[in-house]
Amino acid sequence: MAAIELDGVTKRFGDVTAVSNLDLTVPEGEVFGFLGPNGAGKSTTINMLLDFVRPTAGEVRVLGLNAGRDSVAVRRRTGVLPEGYDVYERLTGRKHIEFAMRSKEVDDDPSAVLERVGIADAADRKAGGYSKGMRQRLVLGMALVGEPDLLILDEPSSGLDPGGAREMREIVRTEADRGTTVFFSSHVLGQVEAVCDRVGIMRGGNLVAEDSIEGLRGAVDEGETLTVTVDAASEDDLAAVRALGGVTSATTDGGTVTVSCDADAKTGVIGALEDAGVTVKDFQTEETSLEDLFLAYTEGEEGEVSA
Amino acid sequence: MTWTAVARKDFQDAIRSRWVAGLSVLFILLVSAAAYLVRPAPGETISSNAVLNSLVVRDALVTTLVPLLALVVAYKAVVGERESGSLKLLLSLPHSRADVVFGKVAGRAAAIAAPISAGFLLPAVVLLVAPPVNFDVVSYVGYTLLTAILAVAFVGIAVGFSAAASSSRRAVAGAIGIYFLFVPLWGAVRFPLQLYLGMGGGPSWLPLTGQQVLRMLRLLNPTGSFKIVSNAFLQGSLYTGGQVNMQVSATLMLVLWILVPPLLGLLWFREADL
Repeated sequence: MAAIELDGVTKRFGDVTAVSNLDLTVPEGEVFGFLGPNGAGKSTTINMLLDFVRPTAGEVRVLGLNAGRDSVAVRRRTGVLPEGYDVYERLTGRKHIEFAMRSKEVDDDPSAVLERVGIADAADRKAGGYSKGMRQRLVLGMALVGEPDLLILDEPSSGLDPGGAREMREIVRTEADRGTTVFFSSHVLGQVEAVCDRVGIMRGGNLVAEDSIEGLRGAVDEGETLTVTVDAASEDDLAAVRALGGVTSATTDGGTVTVSCDADAKTGVIGALEDAGVTVKDFQTEETSLEDLFLAYTEGEEGEVSA
Repeated sequence: MTWTAVARKDFQDAIRSRWVAGLSVLFILLVSAAAYLVRPAPGETISSNAVLNSLVVRDALVTTLVPLLALVVAYKAVVGERESGSLKLLLSLPHSRADVVFGKVAGRAAAIAAPISAGFLLPAVVLLVAPPVNFDVVSYVGYTLLTAILAVAFVGIAVGFSAAASSSRRAVAGAIGIYFLFVPLWGAVRFPLQLYLGMGGGPSWLPLTGQQVLRMLRLLNPTGSFKIVSNAFLQGSLYTGGQVNMQVSATLMLVLWILVPPLLGLLWFREADL
């Protein structure tokens, strides 16, 4: 069964379309990384899973239940680290965890939870005095209460130092081993590639890519970026390069030409440039990293990437 | 049904605010001042009811200040959490929006009842041991309870606005608007209106006498309903004697003010995108 199922979901706020006709399925037990730059529609999508906002069109199902009508039942089995939350400044960390336990109607030891997220020593201090990272740990602790079937983490690493981010990944992994489905968003690829089974990349309200990390890596492994230093090159000179087989894209700023291509197409590119009358002074190649691909998806101009 | 968890959390949170501590001190001082002002002349005795019926307690504290302070304590209940973002924490947990609204009514009701109880009961310790005061425990505790109920009616109004409003500015505008309507404005027009209606004036298109219109207006106002119930209570004639209908209506009106505004607020809150 699917843990999360979005079917033709659109959300508009006034004239702004935050999410546009989104189809997405996350099977049970999967760790799914939901990537994209800020403002891509990630949080709006998550807010629809939790019934914080209602879709303009389409259907949202979580754990087999209707996300709107059965929201309380969904949230009883879901742990959430929301985005843009605030803690109760006047209540201690322990009181927060106790509140989560009473709300989920489970009887457990708050100390064990606080221990697990690494803030046991601050348990009886007011959360108003917590740092951003401690607040993030506290709310993660609230999310873990009651052994949820689904964890929804919106930008879980924000505010955490590298050590904290690593602990966060370890907790995600432990939960996943327990069989929990984990759905988490990030605008930084590095935080998710180590733990995710699969990622989806959002941009401008659309899902522009959806694949396993291995799949994405496979797609980029064959590719290289060739940077050629030239005397002068124009758009016209690039036409011959673009016409070559194995070339994905070619751009120039006049002094350098940047070409994405298969490894064995490099010689052809240099030759084509020289044939066009461009003097090649130097060139270097670089393997495209996953990060480059992610940046191309999220920062490049719309439509530039067609992978 | 997890509204009790919301109420408990909200009470724990609100009771730690400086407002509640400040209000407790204020109420204690005002009730003590009232006790001092109505102190008996040497050789005479008074009933503790004289303290409750004094201008300071009945008119200044209970029917003027308590409604205002209840609104202040409660107007941010929902919209404040919405603005700070803690509402996302609250609704990440398995609460329905109705749990949130009614949990908030209960939590804030307890948070305003605490300073009211402290304000009345701490000075009572002094009255209890002062020889010239006949301390009527039942009427004193009962009046404290009725005052708390009046406060809760205004908590209901404030939480209703708080749930419906998209910003705390709007919530406070609504709450203060209601306060001005029911307290200063009503206080200003009451006597002229009474005179006018008593002399046979009033809308001729209504199948009601001037007296009936006046009575309805008094009932509609929570402070009016409170006075009907509390006066009867202090006179020992609550739900007995000739005014029973009026007293039952007034009691029901107070209950309606506690429940209906939060329900109306919930209608908006349920549909809102957070």
